[in-house]
Amino acid sequence: MATSTSGNPIPNSSLPLHDRVAIVTGASRGIGRAIALHLASLGAKLVINYTSNKVQADLVTAEINSSFLGNTPLALTVQADVSDPSQVKSLFDIAEQFFNSQPYISVNSAGVSNDKGISVADTPVEEFDRILRNIVSTVNLDCKLDLKQIALQARNAEYNPKRFAAVIMRIREPKTTALIFASGKMVCTGAKSEQQSKLAARKYARIIQKLGFPAKFKDFKIQNIVGSCDVKFPIRLEGLAYSHGAFSSYEPELFPGLIYRMKQPKIVLLIFVSGKIVITGAKVRDETYTAFENIYPVLTEFRKNQQ
Amino acid sequence: MATFELYRRSTIGMCLTETLDEMVSNGTLSPELAIQVLVQFDKSMTEALESQVKSKVAIKGHLHTYRFCDNVWTFILQDAVFKYEDASETVGRVKIVACDSKLLSQ
Repeated sequence: MATSTSGNPIPNSSLPLHDRVAIVTGASRGIGRAIALHLASLGAKLVINYTSNKVQADLVTAEINSSFLGNTPLALTVQADVSDPSQVKSLFDIAEQFFNSQPYISVNSAGVSNDKGISVADTPVEEFDRILRNIVSTVNLDCKLDLKQIALQARNAEYNPKRFAAVIMRIREPKTTALIFASGKMVCTGAKSEQQSKLAARKYARIIQKLGFPAKFKDFKIQNIVGSCDVKFPIRLEGLAYSHGAFSSYEPELFPGLIYRMKQPKIVLLIFVSGKIVITGAKVRDETYTAFENIYPVLTEFRKNQQ
Repeated sequence: MATFELYRRSTIGMCLTETLDEMVSNGTLSPELAIQVLVQFDKSMTEALESQVKSKVAIKGHLHTYRFCDNVWTFILQDAVFKYEDASETVGRVKIVACDSKLLSQ
């Protein structure tokens, strides 16, 4: 069951960032360029982001690719305006897809001139801190399954009918867990993106097929997307609970976080004093972004003034 | 008391089974008695491991595959290191089959 990490035949342990994916924004020149070159020299794979200066950015990419030819570091030029959340999102998506690995480092070196008249402190740079943590999806394999047979034949399976009426199976790539029911319904959890969740669900379906069941792949659906982020400032939860009483439930003796049930989009947010936020209940990724954009001004309003 | 037939696949268990087979086939032993002996072997192994074996071994390795079915855990480890009192040994591939001893007392 070799999970091949293709393309890198000789791992070089002397490079501390070997195979790590780094995104450097504003990397076409100046500080960004210097950071990108340095990260590449430490073995990282780089996403060279630029806003307008394509020629310069391509030069940096070429420099990295030529000087490390045949060895691991690889660079990719990606245009994205970091003041636009959707472009930032696609920047990360491209990085993840191209290198088939999640970004490990993000260096924000792009200078953003803000024409909306918002001060720098109020700009949600926290876009960078928002990471999708967990995707839950379901699919119908559309055939009855003999769970005991699956548990006996498949690898990395658990089946304890006294405790739970499903086979629990795991795969390493994408690192996920599936619950497989006798009815043929399957739940796949743990993926970091929608595509990964679908890929994982397909892999499980394939495993079931290989065991001799006529498994199909019907009604694949993303059921829940959980994201988390950090706004990097403490929050007065009592004040927030008081003024948004209709949406909030804050019972510090039961749970240290404030549970905020947003109506539009219909999303649940867990807000902690530390400024850490968990966003859950979304069926599509954009709902988590909308929810965050809605809650951010509220959070700044209830920012705790530190002594 | 119920017993596991797990230890019949060990070297000592296999030898016993072979001997019994031979004795049954040349008529020195009745098949019923041979089965009786094997059942006693299962019991004795469980007892002996419980009461007489005191040494402890720590096993550490990369988990390649696991399975839990019918209350039996199966683990396949790669590059496992067996550590006992003052020595250790590396084994390329190890299969661990583990049953819950609580099931015996039921």
